[in-house]
Amino acid sequence: MKKLAGLAATTLLVVLNPANAQDNVLILDNDVPFDGDFIFDDDLFGGAFDENSSANTRSWLDDFTIKISQQFSGQANNHGVKITPGFSIPREAELETNRLGANIRYQNAFAPGWLLQASAQIRIYLNNDYQYRAEGDSVDIESRGNEFFLQRSFDQHSIKLGRQTVVWGETSGNSVLDVINTTEFRDFNIIDIEDARLNQWMLVWDYFGENSNFSSFVNLYPEFNPAAVRGSPFFFEPEFNLTDYDRDSSMLFEAGTQWRKSFEGSDISFMVAYLYENQLRYEDPAMRIGDAAAKTNDFFLLGFSANRAIGKLLLNFDLAYSHDVLADSFNFPGTASLANPINLKKDQIGSSLGFEYAISNEQTVSLGIQAQMLLDEDEGLLPGQSLINEGVFGSWLMRYSNTLMNNDLVISSTLQGDLAANSLLALLGAEYTINDNWSIGGQIINITSNDESPLLIFAEDVRLSVTLTYSF
Amino acid sequence: MQNNILSRGLVSLIVVLFLLPLQSIAQDLSAREIMEKLEDTRRATSNSALSRMQLSTCKFGVREGKITCAERPRVKSLESVGKGYGLNLKDTRSVAILLDPPAERGIGMLSFSYDEGARDNETWLYLSALGRVKRLASGSSDDETEPGSLFGSEFSTEDQDTGKLDEYEINLLEETLESGREVWKIETIPNEKRARQSRYSRTVLYVDKERFVELRVEMYDQYGKEIKRMLGARVELMNGIWVARSTTIMNLVTNRLSNMAFLEMHTGIDVPDEFLTQRTLTDAAFRETELEKLRAQID
Repeated sequence: MKKLAGLAATTLLVVLNPANAQDNVLILDNDVPFDGDFIFDDDLFGGAFDENSSANTRSWLDDFTIKISQQFSGQANNHGVKITPGFSIPREAELETNRLGANIRYQNAFAPGWLLQASAQIRIYLNNDYQYRAEGDSVDIESRGNEFFLQRSFDQHSIKLGRQTVVWGETSGNSVLDVINTTEFRDFNIIDIEDARLNQWMLVWDYFGENSNFSSFVNLYPEFNPAAVRGSPFFFEPEFNLTDYDRDSSMLFEAGTQWRKSFEGSDISFMVAYLYENQLRYEDPAMRIGDAAAKTNDFFLLGFSANRAIGKLLLNFDLAYSHDVLADSFNFPGTASLANPINLKKDQIGSSLGFEYAISNEQTVSLGIQAQMLLDEDEGLLPGQSLINEGVFGSWLMRYSNTLMNNDLVISSTLQGDLAANSLLALLGAEYTINDNWSIGGQIINITSNDESPLLIFAEDVRLSVTLTYSF
Repeated sequence: MQNNILSRGLVSLIVVLFLLPLQSIAQDLSAREIMEKLEDTRRATSNSALSRMQLSTCKFGVREGKITCAERPRVKSLESVGKGYGLNLKDTRSVAILLDPPAERGIGMLSFSYDEGARDNETWLYLSALGRVKRLASGSSDDETEPGSLFGSEFSTEDQDTGKLDEYEINLLEETLESGREVWKIETIPNEKRARQSRYSRTVLYVDKERFVELRVEMYDQYGKEIKRMLGARVELMNGIWVARSTTIMNLVTNRLSNMAFLEMHTGIDVPDEFLTQRTLTDAAFRETELEKLRAQID
C-alpha cells in the first residue's frame, strides 16, 4: 500500500505542477472588497474571436475522443474473515490493480443521415496488478471493442446496426427493466452499472412519432455475463470450470419493443420482450466429471416505467413481469455451479421504486429500491426442496453527490445493500477536474456482510483507489 | 439563396429602422419600459436562433493594476439552438450541445422554459455513459434554492433569465456614462416572493440608451454588498440585434470570473419543432443532419 500511496503522490505532484498558473499575478484573497472601480480589459478573452476564424477548419482527429488513465487500487485492511466456526481466511492488505488504460471513442456523421460510432479500450496490466500476477508476473495487455454501429436516420426513423446498448427503465443503478445488455463487474472499481454494461450485436429501429416514440431491437447473437477473470477479487476457484455457453446448432435470439410518451412533468413507457437471463445458470456436470453445464434461461418480459417531476423531486417507477423464468438461478459475479438445480419455470414480478431529490443545484440525493418475487414459488417443489431466492428479494441503492468549486470537485457517497440486510457496501468518492484535460479521482469502499450474503468473503474490506485521467 | 439573403437583409433593415427612433423617444421611457425593451433584446437573441459560444472561466488576480486570469482558463464551447413558443413567444425550448472539452463532448441538454410561474421548467440530459435520456430533477422556477450555474461557469440561470418584471420594483437612478456611452442607471429590487428565489437583493444595471444592452450590471447580496459584477463589451449589431458579444461576470466573493463569447449568433432561423425534442439528444445522425440544415440557412 505504501507503493500505491507513493505512486499516487508522485503522479499528483507532476499533474498539479503549477504550469497552469500565470506569472506575476497578485492572487487576491477571497472576499476582497472592491470599493472602487477596477480595470478590466476585455481583450483578455479576445482570443476567442480570433479562434472563430479557424473554427470551421475541421480535422479528422476531431471525431476521436481519447481518455488515458492510470489506476491504482487495493485492499487496505489486514483482517480475517470467519467462514465457518474455527476457520477464517486471512485478508491481507495488497495492491490489486495497477493498470494503464486508454479508452478511444470515434463518432463521425460522415454523410447526411449517416453516422458511424465506435469505441474501444486497451488495458496494460502492470506490476502487482491481479492480472499481472495471474499471468505469472508478467505485463499483460488486453483490448476490447465496445460500441461499433452504423446509424441511418431518415424522416421519423432511425436504424442502428452493430454493437450497442439498449437501456430500459427509469430507476438509476438498479432497475428491474435494465436487463437487455450483459454486464461485467470484474472488480470493485466498477460499481456503477453504467460502467459495467457490455455492448451486443443488435439491430435497433427507432420511430419518432409526433406524440410518442417506438424503439425496437433484435439481437441475433445474445451473449451472457462473462465469468469472473482469474485472479480478480470476484474469482473463486470453482469446483468445475465455468465455460461459455455451447450454442451447438441452437438459434438464440432476443427481441423487444418499447413505446414511450412524454407529458409535461412526466415520461411513461410500456415494453414487451423475449429475452435470455444475462447470467447463465451452471449445473454440476454429469457424473461430476468435466466442465459445469451452462444453461440458458429464456423468458417473456412485460414492463412499464414512469417518472414524475414535482419541483425538486423526481419519482421513478419500474414494473417488470417475467413469464416462464427459470426459478432456481443465481445472479452474482462469481457464480458457482449448482449441485441439485431445480428445473422449474415460474412467473416473477419485480419493481423498482426510487426518487431523486435536488437538495440544491449542487447537491442531489437519490434512493432506489428493487424488489422481486416469484409467483407461486412453492408450487412444484418436492418436500425438502427450496429455491435460492425465496420470498421477496432485492436490493437498495442510495446516492448522494455534491458538486463544489463550479463543478471542478464532485464528492459522492453510495450505500448499497440487499433487502434482507445481510450486506452493506459503503463508498465515498471524490473526482477533481484539474483542467480541461486532467482529472483525478479517489474512492474508499467499505464492505460489511454476514454469513448469509455472498459478499461475506469481502467483509471488513477497506478498499482504496485512485485514478488519474488525461482526456483529449 | 439570393432571395434568402435579400429577405434577411430586409429583416435586418426593418429591425434597425425600428430601433433607431428609440433614441429620440428614449427620454420619455419609464424605468419599467426600459427594462421591457432590454428584455425584448435579450429574448430576440434566443428566438429561432443558432448560436455558438465559448465559455471561459478562471480564478482572477491583478497584474499591473489590471484584472487578469491567475490560472489557465477552463474553456468550454457549445452550440445552442432555441425557439420561442406560447403567448408572445415567451416560453422557450432550447437544445445545447457541448463541443469541447473532449471529456464532455456530446453532452446535450434539452430545456423547456415556461414564462408562467405555475409551470415547472423541464430539462432532459443525455449522457452517453448512461445510455438514455434522463429527466432532471433540477428544480422548478419557484424553488427556494440558489439558481444553478451554467455549465460550471459563474453565469447562473438567474443571470440569463427574462420575464417576471412584475415581481420587481424598478427605479431609474440616473442618466450617466459607462464605457464612454450614455446609459440609464436602473435599480431592480425583487419583491418578497422573488427575493426568496434570488441570490440578489438588489441589482443595478447600466443600460445603453441607444442599443438597449447592459454594459455593466452590479449584483448585491442581502447585506447590500456587491457580490458579482457583469461587464458587456464588443457590442455589435448581429442580424439586426444589438448584442454584447463578450460578457464577463466576476464573482467578487470567490474571485472567479467567466467570459461568454458569442462567436456566432444567427436569428431568424427556421428551426423545425422536431429538432427541439428528445430525439436530438439521442439520435446523433439526425442531430448532425439537422444542424447542417440550420447552418446552411446561414450560408
